Amino acid sequence: MTKRLCWGLLMATVGGCAGQPRPAPPAPPSAQPSSVSALAAAIDADSKRSDHETDSKTRADIAADAGRDADSCLALEPQAAACLYYRGVAYGLQARAHPAHAGEYLNHMLDALAHADAVDPNYDEAGPSRVRALVLLRAPGWPLGPGDADAALVAARRAVALKPKYPANLLALAEALAKGGDANGARDAYARARDAAMVMPASLDRDGWLRESDQGLAKAR
Amino acid sequence: MNALLEAALATLVFCAPGYPGAAGDAQPLVDQFASAVVAASGWPAGSLAAVYDPTDQGGVTKLNSADAVLAFVPYPFFVEHAAQLHLTALVQVDVVDVGPQQRWTLVAKNGRVSGPASMAGFTLLSTAGYAPDFVRSSALQGWALPPDVKIEATGQILSALRRVAAGEPVAVLLDQTQAAALATLPFAADIKTVMQSPQLPVALIVVVDSRVPPARARALQTALLKMGSGSAGGDALGALHLRSFVPAKLPSPAPTP
Repeated sequence: MTKRLCWGLLMATVGGCAGQPRPAPPAPPSAQPSSVSALAAAIDADSKRSDHETDSKTRADIAADAGRDADSCLALEPQAAACLYYRGVAYGLQARAHPAHAGEYLNHMLDALAHADAVDPNYDEAGPSRVRALVLLRAPGWPLGPGDADAALVAARRAVALKPKYPANLLALAEALAKGGDANGARDAYARARDAAMVMPASLDRDGWLRESDQGLAKAR
Repeated sequence: MNALLEAALATLVFCAPGYPGAAGDAQPLVDQFASAVVAASGWPAGSLAAVYDPTDQGGVTKLNSADAVLAFVPYPFFVEHAAQLHLTALVQVDVVDVGPQQRWTLVAKNGRVSGPASMAGFTLLSTAGYAPDFVRSSALQGWALPPDVKIEATGQILSALRRVAAGEPVAVLLDQTQAAALATLPFAADIKTVMQSPQLPVALIVVVDSRVPPARARALQTALLKMGSGSAGGDALGALHLRSFVPAKLPSPAPTP
């Protein structure tokens, strides 16, 4: 019973895992984005808005917008890492908006991230590996979903190997280590994430990384 | 207790140890379910709140609170805590794709386990590992585990099965859904079914410590047994992947409060 129940529940944490918690941006401008970078930015903004949206209908609308933008992006440049990566992010938003089909969307999300990784593993500070790690960590596990703590750890280690100083990669590694029961390793990774965030310029992302590091360190004590 | 119910202090606790999910994410679904139960049973609107807890100890703590009058519990939780918490089964849950009952399956590395004694020194991993009494006395009844077997809870069944396949001294107790999917794993040939449990309930709705008066409990039971797809409350059940409720049929000997 509860496995089935939770299959839908976990989607709320997976859909927005492309980045860290950030404040909701304003609604996007009405002009339709028409370049790869503009479409990628629009999907990124949709992801942030969705993180803060509690109304399920609005979340579904945001996910649909993101899906359309991802399709437009891929129509422009089918092999652009940005389009493939944000296609994955858009699938994540759709998984959150439509829990009954979450398994299907999450598998599509992982496929899109794998394609993005093959084109440019460093895109968005090793985003394809980082987001893959977070999906594998937070999705329901076998046999109900693609969640796989062992594979998540491999993906998180890869993200850190590619971009070792990016705090979000270290946070993903810490989460994977904690889930695998390596408390010392998790504590070390949270501390490294904190150190890495401290030398970043002030930003809302930096605030989020510091908050998450501190919470992780407090839990790991 | 009537006063409690009417003052909206009564709570239905969803206990889901061993499974993924956070309380915040679950809340809208369990709220919807509580509203459907209230409507079906004729209780005053708003008289039943619902709360979700994904941990064994968190569930126990919540059920010790005086406002916890009902609980939705997996059968392993019931076996483990029925006596301590005075849980009385009201109805059995019929789960989509599983049914009201399921068998649990013990698996180990091919050729590694020939009988209970050969499991000495093993670690037994399961989503139900938080309930060692259930594992020993219900799921593995008739299979006397050596006393030094460590029973541990895990939500990482795939990792546990990889450890089995790698030859570690580990066995895994799978629920019906997990056992049915075993053949899909690339290392399935390395894993052998050691024994299966009898049919056991999947989950129950229970009254906590007689906190619902008998007449109200009977009315609630009748209402729950009428809930199902197509009926009022069907949507609330569907959202939780539940089909209906059936009369509770506990294996003998059942734990008694």
